[in-house]
Amino acid sequence: MSIDAQVESKPTGKSTKGDDVVIELGSVNKWYGEFHVLKDINLSVYQGEKIVICGPSGSGKSTLIRCINRLEEHQGGDIIVNGVTLDNNLKNIDAIRSDVGMVFQSFNLFPHLTVLENCTLAPIWVKQTPKAQADELAMEYLHRVKIPEQAAKYPGQLSGGQQQRVAIARSLCMNPQIMLFDEPTSALDPEMISEVLDVMVELADSGMTMLVVTHEMGFAKRVADRVIFMDFGEIVEQNTPEEFFTNPRSDRTKLFLSQILAH
Amino acid sequence: MTHLDASSSDVSFQPKPSLPPPPNTVGAIGWVRKNLFSSPLNAFLTFVSLYVIWVVVSNTFEWAIVNAVWEANSRRECLDKVGLSGACWAGVSHWMKNFIYGRYPDEEIWRVNLGFGILILWMLPFWLPRVTSKITIGASAILIAPFLLGHLFAGGEKGLFLQVMISVAITSFIFSWLHTLLCIATGKPLWTTIVTASGFAAKPDATHKYPVLAVFLAVFIGAFIYQSGWEITAQSTNLWGGLFVTLVISGIGIAVSLPAGIILALGRRSKMPVIRVVCVAFIELFRSVPLITVLFMAVTMVPLFLPAEINPVKIVQAIIAVCIFSSAYMAETVRGGLQAISKGQYEAAQALGLSYWKMMSLIVMPQALKMMIPNIVGSFIGLLKDTTLVSIVGLYDLLLMLKAVSQNPQWNGIHTEPLVFGAALYFVLCFIMSKYSQHLERTLGAGAAGR
Repeated sequence: MSIDAQVESKPTGKSTKGDDVVIELGSVNKWYGEFHVLKDINLSVYQGEKIVICGPSGSGKSTLIRCINRLEEHQGGDIIVNGVTLDNNLKNIDAIRSDVGMVFQSFNLFPHLTVLENCTLAPIWVKQTPKAQADELAMEYLHRVKIPEQAAKYPGQLSGGQQQRVAIARSLCMNPQIMLFDEPTSALDPEMISEVLDVMVELADSGMTMLVVTHEMGFAKRVADRVIFMDFGEIVEQNTPEEFFTNPRSDRTKLFLSQILAH
Repeated sequence: MTHLDASSSDVSFQPKPSLPPPPNTVGAIGWVRKNLFSSPLNAFLTFVSLYVIWVVVSNTFEWAIVNAVWEANSRRECLDKVGLSGACWAGVSHWMKNFIYGRYPDEEIWRVNLGFGILILWMLPFWLPRVTSKITIGASAILIAPFLLGHLFAGGEKGLFLQVMISVAITSFIFSWLHTLLCIATGKPLWTTIVTASGFAAKPDATHKYPVLAVFLAVFIGAFIYQSGWEITAQSTNLWGGLFVTLVISGIGIAVSLPAGIILALGRRSKMPVIRVVCVAFIELFRSVPLITVLFMAVTMVPLFLPAEINPVKIVQAIIAVCIFSSAYMAETVRGGLQAISKGQYEAAQALGLSYWKMMSLIVMPQALKMMIPNIVGSFIGLLKDTTLVSIVGLYDLLLMLKAVSQNPQWNGIHTEPLVFGAALYFVLCFIMSKYSQHLERTLGAGAAGR
């Protein structure tokens, strides 16, 4: 529980949740072949809200957030992001992807580019930002994730925690309104988890809308406005972190919590 | 937990110093012991191998150097001097010009030399430091140079299109070298220099292209007037031969097969069924047919289906056949490289909003091509050697030229020396390519250290 302690030792961020719905999922269904991964998911995410999604592996939590920026295609229901409906129209997909940043479990930095180039690539080639301006922006975000001194290195020369922070900076360089985190700390050594979580906490405090798939319950308690528990492709329970951890309603949630908090 | 607390510990951890390795395991002695005499059997094998090497090397040396005849006017003279115990290199040096240029007329050989000289100069900036826009220079050499070189080699009448393309080629060449020299001397690219010199620097970025276009047009008009005065005689491609033809066919094959292979490989992985089926059919068809068959089809059967007034040139047909064949192989090489790129790279690129072509050209291809360098250069080497097959359809490439010598009455029966020379020439060419690919791997691989 050392991570818990580190995260909780910092001042608790105030909720920045607003009243505008930025992501609306209406009875979303998805199948992988015969396998029904998402069953009738309904979810509204408000501006500035931080949602932590947890659940056992194979419960569909990663698939859910990957549907939001169309890395996976949903087959039923509606996904509306910032008023744009996600369908096969490439323009809509591009519009949504430019508003939604994503951080992956395995970092997925581009190994042939330096840290700085990783961060400036999308601003230069997607948003046509002049290079000097893109460099400046990238350095600003690298400062925010506390690794400006690594800008000239290649991803392969960095530790896992540093790589993940670069990945966060890379997403932020596109000025997204929403950030998706797909198990951002699961591939990290224990000593590196906290440096990534620190960055995510700061990001949350700055008012970013965040959907985070994670098992870092300390992070959930400290940052989340809402915790969602998924199993078998359904949202089993959702609640504020206080209620969720102290007073879970479903017996499935109780079992899950008792297992992950046992050690 | 207190006994694990670092601040309250009273034992400080000091790593032990590293010690040198035991003697006899490093240096020359260590290497010999480990690799040559590690056991009695290995020691025995070492001596046997040394003996075999000695026999081969000393006999070759005697034949090729000590007893060799360097000057003679016929094979008879060679045989009279040393019999078969020495090489008759006179047969090679006497025919050297034909080995390189085929039957191209002596007084026109400067055109071939000039053409290859221009090509080498055109590509040279690629290897110079401080030069920017190398991709553009390389692409212009591959796309535009062939018009100029083709005319130099073949000569004859120029249509308007060819005149324009030759002028564009001359202009591009001049621009490339102006740019290169400016980059080396001042560190500023040609574009910026022209914009500054014309006083457009203060004006909006969108207008910067006008002075550059104006200069380009001026040089183009100059080049057009200059080249319209050219009168160079037509040289039938039947006269082309030797290393010249080998380099033309394999050079075009190499230049075409890489981009064509990339497009075919992307097509094969496309989600659009029609494109995918067409690409798969093309690749599988030409990969499952021997090159000889493709060559025969192109040279003997295709003319049967063409109208009588079109009289295709044999070397062009052979080049097309080689290009088609090598593109199909290259496509599979490229596909192998594409498959080595993890799904996460595609997803990260998509999540950042990159379009398909930007994702491919900025993220996927640079990584895939880097990994594929050994295979790509392997294909190039294979292609260079495979061009010997065009001799079967009657093109006098290097191999057929080498063999033709033995049919000359004066040099009747001289097989070994030309073929040894040819083998050495092919070895040098392939070895240079192979070494260069290793060099590329090292320099490009340095970027992704520890990947």
